[in-house]
Parts: sequence; C-alpha cells; structure tokens
Amino acid sequence: MTDLGPVWSALWSELPVGVILVATVLVAWLASVLVGRLLRQSYPPVARAARQAAVGVISVIGATLILQQLGVNPDVILVILALLGATVLIALWGPLGNYAARYFSDIYLPFKVGDTITLRGFSGQVIGINAMVTVLLTEDDHLVSVPNDVLLKEVVVNTSPQAWKEVTIPLSIGNNVDLALFESDLLKSISKLKTRLDPRFPPVLTTRSRTAQATELVLTLMLRRPEDRDAITQEANKRLGELLQGSRTTRRPAG
Amino acid sequence: MERLSICINTQTPLVQFLTPPDGRPLDSSVRDLAQLREGVDYRFSPGGVTRMVYPLVRRLLKDGILSEAHWVALNPRGPPSIRLGGLWLHNVSIDDERMAAYGKVKEVIWSRVHELDRPSEHSDLFWTEAFAEYAYYNRMTSERMRSLDDRHDFDAFYIHDFQQMPAGHMLATLKPKIFRWHIPFDATAIPDHWRSILKTYLDSYDVIVVSAQRYLDSLQALAPKGRILRMYPYVDPADYAHPDRATAVARTERFGLGTGDRIALLVGRMDPIKGQDLAIRAFAPLAAEFPRTKLVLVGNGSFSGSAAGLGLSKSARWRAQLEAEVAELGLAGRVVFTGHVDQGELDALYERCRFSILASVKEGFGLVAVESWLHGRPVIVTERAGIAEIVEDGVHALLFDPDDPDALGRQMRRLWDDPGGKLRARLVRNGRILAEQCSIDAAEVAERSMLAEVTEQ
Repeated sequence: MTDLGPVWSALWSELPVGVILVATVLVAWLASVLVGRLLRQSYPPVARAARQAAVGVISVIGATLILQQLGVNPDVILVILALLGATVLIALWGPLGNYAARYFSDIYLPFKVGDTITLRGFSGQVIGINAMVTVLLTEDDHLVSVPNDVLLKEVVVNTSPQAWKEVTIPLSIGNNVDLALFESDLLKSISKLKTRLDPRFPPVLTTRSRTAQATELVLTLMLRRPEDRDAITQEANKRLGELLQGSRTTRRPAG
Repeated sequence: MERLSICINTQTPLVQFLTPPDGRPLDSSVRDLAQLREGVDYRFSPGGVTRMVYPLVRRLLKDGILSEAHWVALNPRGPPSIRLGGLWLHNVSIDDERMAAYGKVKEVIWSRVHELDRPSEHSDLFWTEAFAEYAYYNRMTSERMRSLDDRHDFDAFYIHDFQQMPAGHMLATLKPKIFRWHIPFDATAIPDHWRSILKTYLDSYDVIVVSAQRYLDSLQALAPKGRILRMYPYVDPADYAHPDRATAVARTERFGLGTGDRIALLVGRMDPIKGQDLAIRAFAPLAAEFPRTKLVLVGNGSFSGSAAGLGLSKSARWRAQLEAEVAELGLAGRVVFTGHVDQGELDALYERCRFSILASVKEGFGLVAVESWLHGRPVIVTERAGIAEIVEDGVHALLFDPDDPDALGRQMRRLWDDPGGKLRARLVRNGRILAEQCSIDAAEVAERSMLAEVTEQ
C-alpha cells in the first residue's frame, strides 16, 4: 500500500489560505442545505437553528485550519476555544437557560401574549415574552416577571377561555419570499385540515413584526378536539416546512 | 396639530384607465395624470366611496392638514404609481384568475351583509380556495402600504371598504389604523362561522367609522377593541353645477327626453340592491294616469361590474332583466336607461327632474338624496337607507317601505300630483338643512378631529 502521508503533508503545506476559506464557505453552505432538507418536516425554528449550528461548527473548523496554516499550533487553538466555551457557558448559565426556555416556549408552553395564566400563586395577563422573562400584568396592575426556565419547570395554568383550542405556530419568512403567495398557499394547505379544526375559527396568519431580513408571523388554528393538539401542530409544521422549502415563493418586485 | 402624511386604501381606484379607441396600451412611463386625457385615457370612478374620499383628501391637502397623501387601490389597468396634484395614486394589480376568486368572495360577503341570501349558504367561505386568493389580494395591498410607509413614514392609515378589512390586520405597524365601513351593518346578519374572523380583523383598527347610528349600535355586539364612531358620508357642494334650462335640455338630448317630459330620476349602479325594479313596478300604474312622465334610470356597473374594473357581469344581467320587465309592462319609451353619464349630464338630469328616488332594498347611507337636495329636487327615500334615520317623513323627504308593493307608487303620486309645488318646495327647503350635515365642511371638522385624536393620543 502506498504511503500518502508525505504527499498529503506536502500538498497541505502548499495549500493557500484563500482556498481553505472558499472551501469552508462552500462546505458550510452545503451543510446548511443538507440539514435543512433533512429537517424540512420539523418545527421551522428548530430546523433553522440546526442549520445555523452546522454552519457554526464548519466555520470553527475552517478557522482552525486557516490559523494552523498560518503557523499557529492547532493544540493551542483547541485549548483556547475550549476554555472560551467553558467560560461563556459558566458565565451565562442562567441567561442561557432562560433563552433556551424562551426558544422552546413557542413549542411547549400552551400560552401566548394576551392569555391569562397562573403559576406560583401569581395570576395575570401575559403582556410580554422576551429572551429572559415572561411578564404578567396582575389584576391589581402589578408587573410580575417570571424567568423563562421557571415556566418549563413549574405547573402553569392557562385560564383564558377556550385556551385548549388554540394552537399558535410562529414562523419567520425571509423577505426574499413572496408573502402574499406564501399566505395564499398556506391557507389552501391548512384548509385541508378543516375537519379537525373548529369551523367557526378559520386559520389566521398574523404579522408580528418585520425586520430588514425577515417577517415574523404567527399562524393561529383552533382545534375541534383537545386530543388533536399534538397531531395538528405536527401536521401544520410539516406543511409549513414544505411550503417554505417550495419553489413557488419567489420574490415579487416591490411595488 | 402637525401636518400629517397619510395612506388611504380603497378597493375602487379614484381613476379608472380606459382602452383608447386606437387600442394602444397605456404608456407605463407616465407618472402624472396631467399627461393623459380625461375621457380618453382615464375617467374618475363615479359615485361610491371615491366620490366621497377624494373631495376630503383634496380639501385636507389644500387646508394644510395633510402634507402628503398616498392612495392605494385595486387597478389592474393602471401604472404602478401616478400623481394627481398633491396626491399619489398607487395601483395594485392581480391576475385574472385571482381577480375572479377575489370578486366571488367579495360578492358573497356583500350579499350576506345586505341580507340577500341565507346565512347558512356560505358558512365555510373563509375555508375556501377562493378566500385564499382574497387574502392574497389583501396581503398584496398591505405589502404595498408597508413598502410605501418605509419610504414616506406615514402618520396614519385610513382603510375604506369592507373588502379591504383584512389588509389592515395584515399591516404590522404601531401607527394608527382607521377603518371605514361604508355598507350597512347588522350583527344579526353575520353568520356564526364568520364572527371570529370578522372580529379578528376589526380588532386590528384603532377607530372604526360607520355611516349611521344603528350600525354603530349593532357593531357594539362584536365588541371591537377600537373606538367606533358614527360619521355621516359627505359630498362637496362645489362639485355640483346648476345648468340653466336650455343647457340642461341640450345635455340630456341623447337620452330621448322631450322638453315637456316630467321626470322621476333614479341614480344608482345597475344592481338588484338599488331597487330599480321596485321603481319600474311602482311607475307602471302611474304611467297612464300621468302622461308625459318618464322614469330615468342612471348608472351602469360599479367598478366591480364595469369593463374598466373587475369585469364581473352582474350589472349587465340586471339591466337585461329590467329591460325585459319594462317591455312586459308596456313601458317602452317611458323608462329610460342612460347607462354611465358624466358629471355634466348628471347635473343636467337633476336639473330636469321633478323628483328623485332612492329605492334601495338596503343602502349604507344614500348620498344621492343629498345630491338631490343640493340640486333643489325633492327625494323619495327607502326606509332601509342609513340616511333614513335623520329624515322625517313629509318634512325632509318622503319615506317608503320597500316591502310594501304600493308604498313607492303612493309617494311618487304625491310628488307628481302636487298643485303649486308646495310639498316639493317644503321637502327641498328642509332637505337642504339636512344636506349641511353631509357636506364636506361638516366632514372636514369631524375627520380632522378624528385624525388629531388618533395621531396625538
């Protein structure tokens, strides 16, 4: 068997930094596409996070290789990265927990802004959910802030009328997508689930906010039966994912 | 109050673009309406919402209340944007297939609100594919408003017409949104399956304006989050000319009206809701008794029904049906269909008529009654019009119940058989006082107050 070690070492030592950089970008893009495809039936924010994680990991590997090529010892780079990661993790343990809880609250917590909830003896209307806390307005006009990780650990009672019926699915649409066409296709697709939804409450897509990059929306569905909650959520997410992956949502010229 | 910049939205565009006789398409580089010819390249939409909104915008711009105004409307034949004085008109266009679906949904909602069908007939409307296209059009409109807002940073959005209601919901903004509901509103006519989505849309607005107190009372049943205001619709009296007799005869010659004809005038688009059939049937027994009387029906399709607009064929079908009924009743030559008339011809017809009729089976308000008073002509008003709540029978106008088959005929007889014209003179004198409540002057005060409230609160 031919020993390729010296050949590889020679080639590697001659490889320009620019080539590694381009290769890193290409591989990161490829990984993002692949992960997106694999997770297309998942909850869209989770799929997006997985794509970002894949891009992040490949970028770190690429950066390490580039530094190595520039003469920095790879062991030193890895030790520095590990120490940095551990420091950040220890320093932000609490906030990260809250952030993670917020991230998953859209999936696991059965309430939204406007609902009335009770936990740990506090009862009030949810008036805000940010990265760290959920803010309640009590009947006597007091503001109660609840760390988001508490919401995942504690029993929360949603006392809003017919709260069990409502399924809200947040989604983020890039501004390169034709929103009118996406909404039209989404309504047609979700209408196929009509028999499982309350006929008095048609699906509604509400715009939450808009940035230069994306529009944040929420799809609201009202269940006919409580036991369909998970199945409907999953099916709606699957349909959303398919639509977002679809090719029909090309950008229209701005008016 | 600082000068405001507002974005207006209606379905019907202020200006409809025509296909010129030579068939050449509109030059898409045209940016100013002054470059085009009225009557050849474009015409102003007759009647309806635009007739009311435009004079107000013009007035608010002239009086410095508005610094700029942008008007977004559905206009498949229009250029993307075109300027008209201090006003920018922005046109939204959708393809024919979506337009047909949108028109279908709009007609269903309109028919139900006017109680022309059974509540259960379209209970699943908001689940249909046609509704998805209706949403598409509204989202196109809201996106257009949003992109304009990015550039012009409006102080408020003023959205008109029931069919535009979702556009305000789709528009994510912290700026005030006003919605004007122009048609009748009776909460009991809204199917159960429509209520939640209707409320969702209405809850998006800071202020909802309706045209009559009874609509306001009924809307309270849905408990919208915003404030509900009653504001009477209005016209600008300066828009109405009073041609002399000779000019009026000359301007109406093409309709075959003789100089000695005694005319009853009905102005309204060709639509069953306008009650032209009621007027024809009421006129039939009077035609022999009052020789030289004629019933003149003015109007063709709305923007939805016209060839320059959405191309829905309802108006043509209705006119054919009415013409058949006229023939059947032996009224050929006594009932005149004018089709669309320009403002000069309309002024001339009002000047020539003995009285006018607002015969609608249901009517949001009924500005044609105000137009009649402004022309010094009495009017017979259906009890089902919003304006009926301020009209006293025999004082300002003659009222009639459209469900009573003889009622309209009785009131027509009173105005044709009015020796010395005393009744007519009294109705006009008192009617003109009511017309002041529906004038642009009164409206400007009310609208300024509302705009100040929503932008400064």
